Amino acid sequence: MGKLKMPSRWKHDFPVPHAEDSYVTRREFTRFLGLTSMAFFIGTLAAAGRKLVKQFFPHNSAAVEVADIHELPVGGHKLFRYPTENDPCILLRLSEDKFAAFDQRCTHLSCPVLFDAGKNQLVCPCHEGFFSAEDGRAVAGPPKRPLPQLQVTTRNARVLVASREEHLA
Amino acid sequence: MSPEVHRRNRLNVVLQMVTALITAILLGQLWLFTVTLDAMETPSASMTIVVAAALCSLVACSAVWVLIRFFLTTEQMETGDRS
Repeated sequence: MGKLKMPSRWKHDFPVPHAEDSYVTRREFTRFLGLTSMAFFIGTLAAAGRKLVKQFFPHNSAAVEVADIHELPVGGHKLFRYPTENDPCILLRLSEDKFAAFDQRCTHLSCPVLFDAGKNQLVCPCHEGFFSAEDGRAVAGPPKRPLPQLQVTTRNARVLVASREEHLA
Repeated sequence: MSPEVHRRNRLNVVLQMVTALITAILLGQLWLFTVTLDAMETPSASMTIVVAAALCSLVACSAVWVLIRFFLTTEQMETGDRS
Protein backbone atom coordinates (compact mmCIF):
# COMPACT_ATOMS: atom_id res chain seq x y z
CA MET A 1 0.00 0.00 0.00
CA GLY A 2 1.48 3.32 -1.08
CA LYS A 3 2.25 5.92 1.49
CA LEU A 4 -0.14 8.83 1.27
CA LYS A 5 1.82 12.04 0.86
CA MET A 6 0.32 14.76 3.04
CA PRO A 7 1.36 18.39 2.73
CA SER A 8 3.54 19.50 5.64
CA ARG A 9 1.72 21.32 8.35
CA TRP A 10 4.27 24.13 8.50
CA LYS A 11 3.66 24.82 4.80
CA HIS A 12 0.02 25.38 5.65
CA ASP A 13 0.82 27.64 8.60
CA PHE A 14 3.69 29.48 6.90
CA PRO A 15 3.03 29.40 3.15
CA VAL A 16 5.92 30.40 0.88
CA PRO A 17 4.70 32.47 -2.07
CA HIS A 18 7.29 31.25 -4.59
CA ALA A 19 5.67 33.23 -7.38
CA GLU A 20 6.45 36.45 -5.54
CA ASP A 21 10.12 35.56 -4.92
CA SER A 22 12.72 37.68 -6.65
CA TYR A 23 15.68 35.61 -7.69
CA VAL A 24 19.23 36.93 -7.89
CA THR A 25 21.09 35.66 -10.91
CA ARG A 26 24.72 34.61 -10.68
CA ARG A 27 25.68 37.56 -12.86
CA GLU A 28 23.98 40.01 -10.51
CA PHE A 29 25.69 38.36 -7.57
CA THR A 30 29.15 38.58 -9.18
CA ARG A 31 28.50 42.23 -10.04
CA PHE A 32 27.72 42.82 -6.36
CA LEU A 33 30.98 41.07 -5.36
CA GLY A 34 32.96 43.21 -7.81
CA LEU A 35 31.43 46.44 -6.56
CA THR A 36 32.03 45.37 -2.94
CA SER A 37 35.69 44.77 -3.76
CA MET A 38 35.93 48.21 -5.36
CA ALA A 39 34.25 49.80 -2.32
CA PHE A 40 36.81 48.16 0.00
CA PHE A 41 39.65 49.45 -2.19
CA ILE A 42 38.23 52.99 -2.26
CA GLY A 43 37.76 52.89 1.54
CA THR A 44 41.33 51.69 2.07
CA LEU A 45 42.61 54.38 -0.30
CA ALA A 46 40.62 57.09 1.54
CA ALA A 47 41.98 55.98 4.93
CA ALA A 48 45.52 55.86 3.53
CA GLY A 49 45.06 59.33 2.03
CA ARG A 50 43.85 60.71 5.35
CA LYS A 51 46.87 59.21 7.12
CA LEU A 52 49.19 60.76 4.49
CA VAL A 53 47.57 64.18 4.93
CA LYS A 54 47.82 63.92 8.74
CA GLN A 55 51.48 62.92 8.45
CA PHE A 56 52.68 65.50 5.95
CA PHE A 57 50.31 68.40 6.66
CA PRO A 58 49.85 68.33 10.44
CA HIS A 59 47.09 70.46 11.90
CA ASN A 60 48.82 73.25 13.79
CA SER A 61 46.78 75.01 16.42
CA ALA A 62 48.15 77.90 18.39
CA ALA A 63 49.25 77.26 21.96
CA VAL A 64 46.66 78.29 24.52
CA GLU A 65 46.75 79.02 28.22
CA VAL A 66 44.57 76.56 30.09
CA ALA A 67 45.35 77.02 33.79
CA ASP A 68 47.21 78.89 36.46
CA ILE A 69 49.96 76.80 37.99
CA HIS A 70 48.59 77.46 41.49
CA GLU A 71 45.04 76.38 40.77
CA LEU A 72 46.13 72.76 40.21
CA PRO A 73 47.44 70.84 43.24
CA VAL A 74 49.72 67.83 42.71
CA GLY A 75 47.43 64.94 41.70
CA GLY A 76 44.80 67.37 40.48
CA HIS A 77 43.33 67.75 37.05
CA LYS A 78 41.46 70.26 34.93
CA LEU A 79 39.19 69.75 31.96
CA PHE A 80 39.45 72.02 28.95
CA ARG A 81 38.70 72.00 25.23
CA TYR A 82 41.39 72.12 22.58
CA PRO A 83 41.77 72.93 19.72
CA THR A 84 38.00 73.34 19.18
CA GLU A 85 34.97 73.32 21.46
CA ASN A 86 34.26 69.77 20.29
CA ASP A 87 37.60 68.37 21.52
CA PRO A 88 37.53 67.64 25.27
CA CYS A 89 40.97 67.38 26.90
CA ILE A 90 42.31 66.80 30.39
CA LEU A 91 45.28 68.47 32.05
CA LEU A 92 47.02 66.57 34.88
CA ARG A 93 49.53 67.69 37.46
CA LEU A 94 51.69 64.63 38.10
CA SER A 95 54.26 66.23 40.38
CA GLU A 96 55.41 69.63 41.53
CA ASP A 97 56.88 70.52 38.14
CA LYS A 98 55.40 67.88 35.85
CA PHE A 99 52.22 68.32 33.83
CA ALA A 100 50.61 66.19 31.15
CA ALA A 101 47.63 66.78 28.88
CA PHE A 102 45.65 64.30 26.80
CA ASP A 103 42.63 64.06 24.58
CA GLN A 104 39.90 63.01 27.01
CA ARG A 105 38.19 60.64 24.57
CA CYS A 106 39.00 56.98 25.13
CA THR A 107 40.54 55.40 22.03
CA HIS A 108 38.16 52.45 22.40
CA LEU A 109 34.69 54.00 22.03
CA SER A 110 35.28 57.68 22.86
CA CYS A 111 33.96 57.68 26.43
CA PRO A 112 35.56 60.44 28.55
CA VAL A 113 38.49 59.18 30.65
CA LEU A 114 38.91 60.17 34.32
CA PHE A 115 42.11 60.71 36.30
CA ASP A 116 42.90 58.32 39.14
CA ALA A 117 45.74 60.09 40.96
CA GLY A 118 46.29 57.16 43.37
CA LYS A 119 47.12 54.77 40.54
CA ASN A 120 48.57 57.48 38.32
CA GLN A 121 46.28 56.29 35.55
CA LEU A 122 43.51 57.58 33.36
CA VAL A 123 40.47 55.33 33.63
CA CYS A 124 37.67 54.83 31.16
CA PRO A 125 34.63 53.87 33.27
CA CYS A 126 32.59 52.60 30.30
CA HIS A 127 34.59 49.43 29.59
CA GLU A 128 37.34 49.47 32.23
CA GLY A 129 40.12 50.82 30.04
CA PHE A 130 43.30 52.08 31.70
CA PHE A 131 45.93 54.47 30.35
CA SER A 132 49.24 55.58 31.82
CA ALA A 133 49.06 59.17 33.05
CA GLU A 134 52.74 59.60 32.13
CA ASP A 135 52.51 59.06 28.39
CA GLY A 136 48.94 58.00 27.63
CA ARG A 137 49.77 54.45 26.56
CA ALA A 138 47.03 51.84 27.01
CA VAL A 139 47.93 49.57 29.92
CA ALA A 140 44.80 47.45 30.38
CA GLY A 141 41.30 46.85 29.08
CA PRO A 142 39.84 47.05 25.58
CA PRO A 143 41.72 50.14 24.27
CA LYS A 144 44.74 49.30 22.13
CA ARG A 145 45.83 52.75 21.02
CA PRO A 146 47.37 55.39 23.30
CA LEU A 147 45.53 58.58 24.18
CA PRO A 148 46.65 61.46 21.92
CA GLN A 149 49.00 63.58 24.01
CA LEU A 150 49.34 67.35 23.95
CA GLN A 151 52.48 69.32 24.54
CA VAL A 152 52.53 71.16 27.88
CA THR A 153 54.85 73.94 29.07
CA THR A 154 54.76 76.39 31.93
CA ARG A 155 55.56 80.05 31.58
CA ASN A 156 55.16 82.81 34.15
CA ALA A 157 53.15 80.50 36.43
CA ARG A 158 50.74 79.71 33.59
CA VAL A 159 50.24 76.32 31.94
CA LEU A 160 50.25 76.38 28.13
CA VAL A 161 49.03 73.58 25.90
CA ALA A 162 49.65 72.98 22.20
CA SER A 163 49.32 70.18 19.71
CA ARG A 164 52.32 67.86 19.50
CA GLU A 165 53.46 69.36 16.20
CA GLU A 166 53.29 72.93 17.48
CA HIS A 167 56.49 74.22 19.05
CA LEU A 168 56.10 76.34 22.14
CA ALA A 169 58.85 78.86 21.64
CA MET B 1 25.33 10.86 -18.10
CA SER B 2 25.83 12.50 -21.46
CA PRO B 3 29.13 14.32 -22.18
CA GLU B 4 27.21 17.60 -22.33
CA VAL B 5 25.73 17.16 -18.83
CA HIS B 6 29.12 16.01 -17.54
CA ARG B 7 30.77 19.14 -18.93
CA ARG B 8 28.09 21.37 -17.37
CA ASN B 9 28.57 19.74 -13.98
CA ARG B 10 32.33 20.32 -14.16
CA LEU B 11 31.78 23.96 -15.11
CA ASN B 12 29.40 24.37 -12.19
CA VAL B 13 32.13 23.19 -9.85
CA VAL B 14 34.55 25.67 -11.41
CA LEU B 15 32.06 28.49 -10.93
CA GLN B 16 31.54 27.61 -7.28
CA MET B 17 35.31 27.53 -6.72
CA VAL B 18 35.70 30.93 -8.36
CA THR B 19 32.93 32.35 -6.17
CA ALA B 20 34.61 30.92 -3.05
CA LEU B 21 37.95 32.43 -4.14
CA ILE B 22 36.37 35.87 -4.70
CA THR B 23 34.72 35.69 -1.27
CA ALA B 24 38.09 34.83 0.33
CA ILE B 25 39.73 37.80 -1.43
CA LEU B 26 36.93 40.08 -0.22
CA LEU B 27 37.53 38.95 3.37
CA GLY B 28 41.23 39.76 2.89
CA GLN B 29 40.31 43.21 1.59
CA LEU B 30 38.09 43.77 4.62
CA TRP B 31 41.04 42.92 6.87
CA LEU B 32 43.31 45.32 4.93
CA PHE B 33 40.67 48.04 5.35
CA THR B 34 40.58 47.56 9.13
CA VAL B 35 44.40 47.59 9.30
CA THR B 36 44.47 50.90 7.38
CA LEU B 37 41.77 52.42 9.60
CA ASP B 38 43.71 51.40 12.69
CA ALA B 39 46.93 52.91 11.27
CA MET B 40 45.04 56.10 10.42
CA GLU B 41 43.98 56.50 14.06
CA THR B 42 47.43 55.66 15.45
CA PRO B 43 49.90 58.53 14.98
CA SER B 44 52.91 56.26 15.61
CA ALA B 45 51.87 53.73 12.93
CA SER B 46 54.25 53.40 10.02
CA MET B 47 53.34 54.81 6.60
CA THR B 48 54.80 51.65 5.04
CA ILE B 49 51.91 49.62 6.49
CA VAL B 50 49.32 51.99 5.04
CA VAL B 51 50.92 52.11 1.58
CA ALA B 52 51.39 48.32 1.52
CA ALA B 53 47.75 47.77 2.55
CA ALA B 54 46.48 50.13 -0.16
CA LEU B 55 48.62 48.40 -2.82
CA CYS B 56 47.50 44.93 -1.68
CA SER B 57 43.88 46.09 -1.80
CA LEU B 58 44.40 47.36 -5.37
CA VAL B 59 45.91 44.02 -6.40
CA ALA B 60 43.03 42.17 -4.72
CA CYS B 61 40.45 44.37 -6.46
CA SER B 62 42.10 43.71 -9.85
CA ALA B 63 42.17 39.98 -9.10
CA VAL B 64 38.45 40.02 -8.28
CA TRP B 65 37.60 41.71 -11.59
CA VAL B 66 39.80 39.23 -13.53
CA LEU B 67 38.06 36.35 -11.75
CA ILE B 68 34.65 37.84 -12.52
CA ARG B 69 35.53 38.07 -16.22
CA PHE B 70 36.64 34.44 -16.06
CA PHE B 71 33.42 33.59 -14.22
CA LEU B 72 31.21 35.26 -16.84
CA THR B 73 33.13 33.69 -19.75
CA THR B 74 32.79 30.28 -18.16
CA GLU B 75 29.11 30.83 -17.51
CA GLN B 76 28.60 31.72 -21.17
CA MET B 77 30.29 28.46 -22.15
CA GLU B 78 28.00 26.61 -19.74
CA THR B 79 24.70 28.17 -20.71
CA GLY B 80 25.42 29.46 -24.19
CA ASP B 81 23.75 32.64 -23.03
CA ARG B 82 25.40 35.75 -24.46
CA SER B 83 23.06 38.31 -22.98
